[in-house]
Amino acid sequence: MKQFFKKCMSVFVAGAILAVALLGFASCGKEEGFFIGASGPLTGDAASYGIAVQRGAELAVKQLNAKGGVKFRFEIKDDAAEAGKAGTNYDLLFDAGMQASLSGVTSGAAEAFVDKAGNDKLFCLSPSASADSVINKNAYSFRLCFGDPDQGKLAAQWIHENMPGAKVGAIYNTSDSYSSGIYAAFQAEMATLGITYTEKTFDNENKTDFSSQAEALKDCDVIFMPFYYTEASLFAKAATQKDCVATYFGCDGFDGISPLISDVMQKNRVMYITPFDVESQDATTKAFVEAFRAEYNADPDQFAADAYDAMMVIADAIAKAGITDYTVKPETLSEAIINVITASDYSYTGLTGTMKWEKSGACVKAPVIKVLSNPAQ
Amino acid sequence: MSTIIDGLSLGSIYALIALGYTMVYGIAKMLNFAHGDIIMVGAYTIFSTLMVGDSVPLKIIAILLSVLVCTVLGVSVERIAYRPLRGASPLAVLITAIGVSYFLQSLAQLIFGAKSHTIETLIPGAFHIGSVRITYATLLTLLVGAAVMAGLTIFIAKTKTGRAMVAVSEDRGAAELMGIHVNGIIALTFAIGSALAALAGFFYLMQIPATNPTLGSMPGIKAFTAAVIGGIGSIPGAMIGGILLGVIEKLCLSITPLSPYTTAIEFSLLILILLVKPTGLLGRKRREKV
Amino acid sequence: MKKNGYFAAVKKGFKPKYYFNYALVSFALILFIALEMSGILKRSYANLLTQIGFSIILAVSLNLVVGFLGELSLGHAGFMCIGAYIGTWFSQLLAPVIASFAIRLILAMLVGGICAALFGILVGIPALRLKGDYLAIVTLAFGEIVRNIFKNLPWFGKSYGMPTETYGTKLFIIALLAVLFTLFVIQNLMRSKHGRAITAIRDSEIAAKSMGVNVTFYKILAFSVAAFFAGIAGVIYGAYTTPILYSFFSFNYSIEILVMVVLGGMGSITGSIVSATLLTLINFLLTANLSGDMAALKYMIYALILIGMVIYNNAPALKKYRDRFSLSILFSRIRERFVRTTPATVKDDAAAWDRVPTKILSDEILSTDLQLTTSAPDKPDKPKGDK
Repeated sequence: MKQFFKKCMSVFVAGAILAVALLGFASCGKEEGFFIGASGPLTGDAASYGIAVQRGAELAVKQLNAKGGVKFRFEIKDDAAEAGKAGTNYDLLFDAGMQASLSGVTSGAAEAFVDKAGNDKLFCLSPSASADSVINKNAYSFRLCFGDPDQGKLAAQWIHENMPGAKVGAIYNTSDSYSSGIYAAFQAEMATLGITYTEKTFDNENKTDFSSQAEALKDCDVIFMPFYYTEASLFAKAATQKDCVATYFGCDGFDGISPLISDVMQKNRVMYITPFDVESQDATTKAFVEAFRAEYNADPDQFAADAYDAMMVIADAIAKAGITDYTVKPETLSEAIINVITASDYSYTGLTGTMKWEKSGACVKAPVIKVLSNPAQ
Repeated sequence: MSTIIDGLSLGSIYALIALGYTMVYGIAKMLNFAHGDIIMVGAYTIFSTLMVGDSVPLKIIAILLSVLVCTVLGVSVERIAYRPLRGASPLAVLITAIGVSYFLQSLAQLIFGAKSHTIETLIPGAFHIGSVRITYATLLTLLVGAAVMAGLTIFIAKTKTGRAMVAVSEDRGAAELMGIHVNGIIALTFAIGSALAALAGFFYLMQIPATNPTLGSMPGIKAFTAAVIGGIGSIPGAMIGGILLGVIEKLCLSITPLSPYTTAIEFSLLILILLVKPTGLLGRKRREKV
Repeated sequence: MKKNGYFAAVKKGFKPKYYFNYALVSFALILFIALEMSGILKRSYANLLTQIGFSIILAVSLNLVVGFLGELSLGHAGFMCIGAYIGTWFSQLLAPVIASFAIRLILAMLVGGICAALFGILVGIPALRLKGDYLAIVTLAFGEIVRNIFKNLPWFGKSYGMPTETYGTKLFIIALLAVLFTLFVIQNLMRSKHGRAITAIRDSEIAAKSMGVNVTFYKILAFSVAAFFAGIAGVIYGAYTTPILYSFFSFNYSIEILVMVVLGGMGSITGSIVSATLLTLINFLLTANLSGDMAALKYMIYALILIGMVIYNNAPALKKYRDRFSLSILFSRIRERFVRTTPATVKDDAAAWDRVPTKILSDEILSTDLQLTTSAPDKPDKPKGDK
């Protein structure tokens, strides 16, 4: 009896001291400007994607504020790709005065975020949550990336047109909605086109050792890999070790893979659908890549570019709507932004191409297929 | 057939990790959930060393360095986080082990970033037996696994320190009365376990040439499973359990309709084995005393 | 001496400490409802309360297995997973029939809880044959199997997660009411003869068996009751956030619940409540304060707090400190002033649920014996008959 009281009380004391200490440094100074919030995985398995978004958006805010005029501030909270934490982050950010958001980085978390944002009619423009369920949640949810189905369809069509008669393989992650979403569209389109192919899967519990999948797909001429670069690099390496020579065809999640697979690129053709090319000679892209390198000492990937664009689009829309009042209510702001970006004559040209938005929240932009390496030539 | 070879090579990594697990468990009687993260530290050490260059002597230096780093880390973790709790509830130690695991992961993320880094294949090349292709890496992992298993068994059975370890594991109080320096023996166990983790980290990198902060957690759990299948505390058991688990995992993954259920199948098998043999394949049955 | 105050006036047999937990939770409930009504309660705090609510349910129910039955369970999140998926699915099924979300939620809790309890029975069966760590890993395996299967079943949204209807900020009222219900059932269970049987199994299975305790029945009972409440917590989680993602119910979450139980003191319900609240609060405060670049520090700080607290609370070497600097001394002094416990009542109390030794015998949980070295310094000497 006494013992457990003692125990829980001393826990309590330790915790109380800590809580007070934490609350102490809670309220830091607030800067002026429109408050844009976001939630993304900054720790855990998917941390590299969330951190890329954070860097892209922070760079955009820095440049916007340096330009003078309307000011912005940006805050991203960690959700470790979990829906529940993304919801908590929304509440925290909303209580702190968030006016618009980049919602979430991964689809599941973004859905939780957007679900809550809908009640407040807060504008969400996700840089990377590509599942349709995110934008279908409510009228205030938009995305800047391609939708999952578009990419799967495009990949199937590309294979049909450019590699007729080739032996096709596909591998996807059953634990990841991005990967399964693209794959579902790919599967449907391949069925329509009447192409048969070998299918392999992996999941989040088994995503490091790809030897058995590589074994099954090593004779293929083209392998469709709709998943992120971390796993893609491991699969490509495993397949190359099995003397597989093929075209590795990926989606926008591939962006950032090149430093990881130099050995694969020497032997195989690697290509992917992407809106953003880090080596592009385009002036805006060059300036962005340089600024990013100077700031973070790393190359930006598609996540960073999308986040940068998303911030810029929000800024652009706010400027076009002529809102300068920093205390504007989220619903007023979202109405204004949505009116601007869904106008039929509005388009924004950023790092990831020229974009238009549909009322549904989908983003229309032309995909580019980037060939990373082509040793056959 | 080649699936089985793949399974063997994955299984031998699980086995190496499980050996470390089972060592620490068998003697210190604690589930060291931070074991996987020590592998991660080992892998990062090798990665950082190989940033300097890529040559055979450097690779050897990398292994030695990672063994050193992991051993020091393992012993200091034991000193700081586990030893103060000796005599308290074993579950309290389990929690600090989890704390250590969180700590090491975030430390790695702070130092090396969240993005994964790949390294060049450590031991390239392969040979063919018939149509089956075996990489040197697989062969080496298996050989080293077997050697470590044999070495540990001999060490524990023959040397004085080894016998002291057995004594500590059997009855800590009695061992202390017999003049065995219990804290020292447990620290030594952690040192050996962590050195094995470093070795496992090297072989892990050999097959999965990428590092990231959460690299250790999944293999850690799988190795724990392997150790239990083999019978916790049993050194040959850990080896068998690891290889069995690896082969089953690869077999499941290679059959398409089954592959999404790989985790479920693996763990169901574990439950089945335990229902038939409640102390694992080679575990000793403890008699219950009133 | 008529200074026994209020408590002396209440009828004989009324033991305030049994009602301490109810009072604690009800007080919080009333306080926060009042704050919510007056609009002062920030939304993030209202949702924090929901989180605290389901954490408490999870911790208290896991305590039944770990603290009272003495079996290590690493798969509690698996039961929560079952409750979350099936309960929410059931609630969506009812949507056309019953309009009120609150009523549907309560029905869903029942269904989710019962489904989880059925699986609890399933896990309880290996518990009859396995001991210590071997059982622990079976529960771990069970948790992983469950979420793996739910992820792949087509009816639950696969990897996209299962979209759910969220209840909004007032969910915390339902969550805290569910906490009260949990406390009611578990405390009464533990105070009954069934509870005594369960603790008897923990203290010595063989002795319990020889005294005629139906070990099979009580082990399964403990597992299924714990699973039932984990299922309820799962349903609350489903109404708290959308979509339900399989990845949430991982082994790590089971461990997090276990941490709450161990930190609060095994076999202590008040301890579980306090530590569940505290850990959820710490996590929340860390998230609130560390954003952007600082986020990576979150787990590091959390880890240090965890290690620090566990060592402070459990290290044999720090016992003197604990005895001198703890609120419990203060608390017990205050209590002594108001409630005079005569030796007679203590005797009367011998079978109280919270009076049994709170520490699990090591060899029951880790099939080993650690206490031989230092005769369990943390444990006050107890008369032999106490066991």
